[in-house]
Amino acid sequence: MSSVEPETPEAPEAPEVEAPAVDPYASDLQALRTELGDALVETGAQRGDLWVRVHRDAWDHAAEVLRHQLRYDYFCFLSAVDWMPHTWPNPKVIEGEGAEEAEEEPPPSAEIARGFAGGDSRFQVLARVYSTTRHQGVFVKSDLDDAAPAAPTWSRTYRGADWHERETHEMYGVDFIGHPNLANLYLPGAFEGYPLRKDFPLLSREVKPWPGLVDVEGFPAGYGGGEESAAPAAPAEEGAAG
Amino acid sequence: MAVTDQQRLSYIAAQAADARVNVELQTEQMTLNLGPQHPATHGTLRLVAKLDGEQVVSADVVCGYMHRGYEKLTEVRTYPQITTLVNRIDWLSSFANEVPFILAAEQLMEVEAPPRAQCIRTALFEMSRIANITLFIGEMGVQLGAITPVFFAFRDREYVLNLIEAATGGRFHPNFDRIGGLKDDLPRGWIAETKQAMAKIRSYCDQLEDLLMGNEIFETRTRGVGVIPAEIGLSYGLSGANIRASGVDWDLRRDQPSPLVWKDLDWKVWTHPDGDSFARYWVRLQETREATKMVEQCLDGLPAGPIQAKVPRIIKVPAGEAWVSTENPLGEMGYYVVSQGGLGPFRVKIRSASFNNISITPWLLKGVYVPDIVTILASLYFILGDIDR
Amino acid sequence: MGIVERGGLNKKVFKPLTHLLNYSRKYSLWVYQWGLACCAIEMGAAFGSPRYDVMRLGVIPFPAGPRQADLVVISGTVTDKMAPPIRRLWEQMPDPKYVISMGSCANCGGPYWDSYSVTKGVDQIIPVDVYVPGCPPRPEALLEGIVLLQQRIQNEDMAERWRGEPIVVG
Repeated sequence: MSSVEPETPEAPEAPEVEAPAVDPYASDLQALRTELGDALVETGAQRGDLWVRVHRDAWDHAAEVLRHQLRYDYFCFLSAVDWMPHTWPNPKVIEGEGAEEAEEEPPPSAEIARGFAGGDSRFQVLARVYSTTRHQGVFVKSDLDDAAPAAPTWSRTYRGADWHERETHEMYGVDFIGHPNLANLYLPGAFEGYPLRKDFPLLSREVKPWPGLVDVEGFPAGYGGGEESAAPAAPAEEGAAG
Repeated sequence: MAVTDQQRLSYIAAQAADARVNVELQTEQMTLNLGPQHPATHGTLRLVAKLDGEQVVSADVVCGYMHRGYEKLTEVRTYPQITTLVNRIDWLSSFANEVPFILAAEQLMEVEAPPRAQCIRTALFEMSRIANITLFIGEMGVQLGAITPVFFAFRDREYVLNLIEAATGGRFHPNFDRIGGLKDDLPRGWIAETKQAMAKIRSYCDQLEDLLMGNEIFETRTRGVGVIPAEIGLSYGLSGANIRASGVDWDLRRDQPSPLVWKDLDWKVWTHPDGDSFARYWVRLQETREATKMVEQCLDGLPAGPIQAKVPRIIKVPAGEAWVSTENPLGEMGYYVVSQGGLGPFRVKIRSASFNNISITPWLLKGVYVPDIVTILASLYFILGDIDR
Repeated sequence: MGIVERGGLNKKVFKPLTHLLNYSRKYSLWVYQWGLACCAIEMGAAFGSPRYDVMRLGVIPFPAGPRQADLVVISGTVTDKMAPPIRRLWEQMPDPKYVISMGSCANCGGPYWDSYSVTKGVDQIIPVDVYVPGCPPRPEALLEGIVLLQQRIQNEDMAERWRGEPIVVG
């Protein structure tokens, strides 16, 4: 699959290497750069959408530019990402094919990669808007302060952000400054903690850790099962060709 | 007979007393709690409305009664396990929930399903749209008091559910999509039966059009009720038939490149300028008919070939991010998948259509009469699992 | 209910009466369907569609409210937020009442067994008579659950029930 060449701040015109077509985001990107200036930290394009990372103080200004000036009328979603590695073990294979590789697999690196358009902090807020007339979408994200994540609200510009910010607040603990009513949306009132943070464990799995992916369920005791009688492909195993 | 002075005076006195009552009677606002268990909410949605007489002054939606924590659960599961789980978000059109997730995983793995699989995927996607919307069309009648359509709906849905079960094994929650293709090929005789079933669904749509849309009561109760202007709808993030009923000509199947075969089919996007409940019902009815034609076209042009690309048995998706959204029956459903290698994803954000569709409700219900609350909720058409994930 | 408390219904002469009472009770159940999630659609298919008609078993759906229902079918995932309403509505049902837990979410938490917001089974809140497994169970499975419940009702000892003793049915 071909991907659009990422834009770099020094060269607004993409070099004509593979795609002779005009980049549909060129003018929008220029307008964003003009409006946001230094606040526009990093940009890129991936599979049809433009990705933009802005400074957190310019978070709501970016929304206004996108909506009123660049006419991105449709609000898709707003959420957050917690880039810290899990505090619980990842699923892995413990029996059958693939178990040996799982044994040697190094633990996930402590250095957190931040995805497209980069990032520096643990918490990032992420939003997408789309233009129904030009059929283009923009992902906007912003680094948040890890100790007290907060961002200005988008709900004045895009009304749909109201509920999305409430959900992000209760799931991650991100404060949205200027939001009219940052009450819990999903969780009952007595709930403590921020569930989607990576240091919030799922207690059912702590009490009884998931034993891992069993590739082929063994035979019951007394039924033997050498190589020739072992089932060649467990019917429930996904990914089996044909 | 001449009216005596006595009668005239007493008449005037009665009128004056009446006027005094209307002016001086201070009514308190009443708080009406609709739900979470109520036949008119499609599931466990709670609506708290402050009423002044029969009119709603303000309304608030309390959701979360079906919040199952999907985004957290995806972080501890492998990709095939998530495919199983994700069926249950929009539980009426379950195959349609799997597709964007599988497409995102395929984008990350850089595999493409073979053309036969893409074609069958499209057919099953449209069939799940039919399974979903036929129930809506019948259920809207029940919400307004017409009980017969829902029995037709359940009866005619069974044809489609039979076919989905014949191909995938599950009436809904098929869990049939796999990274790289589908689990199995179609059984023998399925194509012919499907075409018959599509004809039956079209006759169901015609029946409902006669029954409900021609009905004077239905028209009075739905025309002009719950008008959503396009600008505001888009700002709230309404998608799917809800926004097309407000005149926005936007359909992700046509306007967004996708590996599924919608581009190769000959079909039409239906819009309606009014933006009221009648328009939303009308658009969905036409879309169901359109979907039956799309299924037939898919099956007519079904290419031969393998049903799944070569993928390893234990699926490890390379690191990266992907966003895929599709035009699900309820609206735009999208998955933002972040993978850091490994058997399961690092973060999955599920963008579900009904969450945005219902966020407009507090704004929309201001000044509306109590019976119209039910009409509006029914016409916005949400599934609780889609709102609450 | 003096006769019952004095153990009168156990007397041989009243056995046919008990039999008749149970027989008429089991074929006149009024089902309050608590449809929460996907199982509600299968329950709707069982109750409302002409294909899996439940009324032929003597079970009538759609009572006006829980206060007029004998049987409640909890179908779908029970979340912690939803648990208090379920408890309250179960308490509003008059005795003798029965509960069918439909689907694996209501049985034990189901596919969401490890979620932070799901109650792992409705039997943590209310006592359950019949568990119908499946995800979702086919409408025929729910009908079989209802038939099993009817067998149970047939063999019930009303005296024990009135006295509040735990019901043990062979």
